[in-house]
Amino acid sequence: MKYVDEFRDAELGRVLSGEILSIVEPGRHYKIMEVCGGHTHSIYKYGLDDLLPTNVELVHGPGCPVCVIPMGRVDDGIALAHQPGVIFTCFGDMMRVPGANGSLLDAKAAGADIRMVYSPLDALRIAKANPDREVVFFAIGFETTAPSTALTLKRAKAEGVTNFSCMCNHVTIVPPLRALLDSPDLRLDGFVGPGHVSTVVGARPFEFIPADYGKPIVVSGFEPLDILQGVLMILRQLEEGRCEVENQYKRVVPYEGNVRALEVMAEVFELRPHFEWRGLGFISHSGLKLSEAYADLDAERRWTVPGIRVADPKACQCGEVLKGVIKPFECKVFGTACTPERPIGTCMVSSEGACAAYYNYGRFAREREVV
Amino acid sequence: MTAFDISSDAVCGRDPHGCITCGDEGIPMRVLAVDEERALALCETAGGERSTVEIALVDAGPGDEVLVHAGTAIA
Repeated sequence: MKYVDEFRDAELGRVLSGEILSIVEPGRHYKIMEVCGGHTHSIYKYGLDDLLPTNVELVHGPGCPVCVIPMGRVDDGIALAHQPGVIFTCFGDMMRVPGANGSLLDAKAAGADIRMVYSPLDALRIAKANPDREVVFFAIGFETTAPSTALTLKRAKAEGVTNFSCMCNHVTIVPPLRALLDSPDLRLDGFVGPGHVSTVVGARPFEFIPADYGKPIVVSGFEPLDILQGVLMILRQLEEGRCEVENQYKRVVPYEGNVRALEVMAEVFELRPHFEWRGLGFISHSGLKLSEAYADLDAERRWTVPGIRVADPKACQCGEVLKGVIKPFECKVFGTACTPERPIGTCMVSSEGACAAYYNYGRFAREREVV
Repeated sequence: MTAFDISSDAVCGRDPHGCITCGDEGIPMRVLAVDEERALALCETAGGERSTVEIALVDAGPGDEVLVHAGTAIA
């Protein structure tokens, strides 16, 4: 397929791997964070870390939309799902995230009407097909998913669908990156920037990373050669003493983003003063809620949401994994008490979560290391 | 006209390597037909899976390739 096959070429991959090897300084340890969970997934799926020199370490960032949802929000969602007459809709991965007293899947087994959807538009379709029921869409995701939710809410308003509402958990990517960079326990040399978030917001919002923190960032695609080239571009900046925002994913990402998407988001959403992130705590202006113009479609105004706050399980080290402080296999419960079938932490739930990606692919590399 | 069974009770198991819409990664799809009035398009993946996609954010016509995320073309 065009734009896919040519970015999986093994020969070109070996060439890039050789260039990376030739550019790194022996004795220097490079720590590069891939921000997006999609990158984490590709790195393990294609074994890209095996193509890098041992002194180039990839650490996994907070860019999996499921992994960053705190347990309390899951419990709030379950409370809404148990309201009489409610059909609660969410993406599939979200159904398996454990709250304090089970997941949405457990709530469904207990009798709540919870349905998996592939898009907010599907949730709206369910609302139109069930005019005597209240349909709530549990919205999660970064700026990649937020335009989709915004368009659906605009459509619901335009079509006068009154039995549809949204529990908004959308988050933005820049504030957690700033929080990570301010974190004293993390030393990073550069970032592989998120590809599809940047399709919407553009590469410009990341200019603060080189300007304020002196680190390079390269917005990269998700195919194996995209990621290898992104890493090479970061290393080249470091070698040449530059630090700037570069765009490896020009075939998809315009520097200014998708203006229409940004406009629709600005109309439908506004920033929350603060929002809780799993493992990272409360981060100012990092979450979105529905704007006043769309307040009548806000599930958190239609019902009283408990606003539950739950501490993460003691054994779970998702926070440290999300900050790139530890590798997934260094977590006490990785692969034993916490597996994709029975996850304790969110990072093991989504296929984009660092722990799930490592469990599915990376553990074999780890086993090779041990041997 | 959606190809997805939205009433499915199963957890996301369509693609063992990652859900096409749940994560923050988009997928390339080809536009087959456009309903301009409703800003919707019928699109198809390389694997032949079809679904209805919002195209209000992009300029796309039949035959074009779009990047789809959560049912919306974002590029």
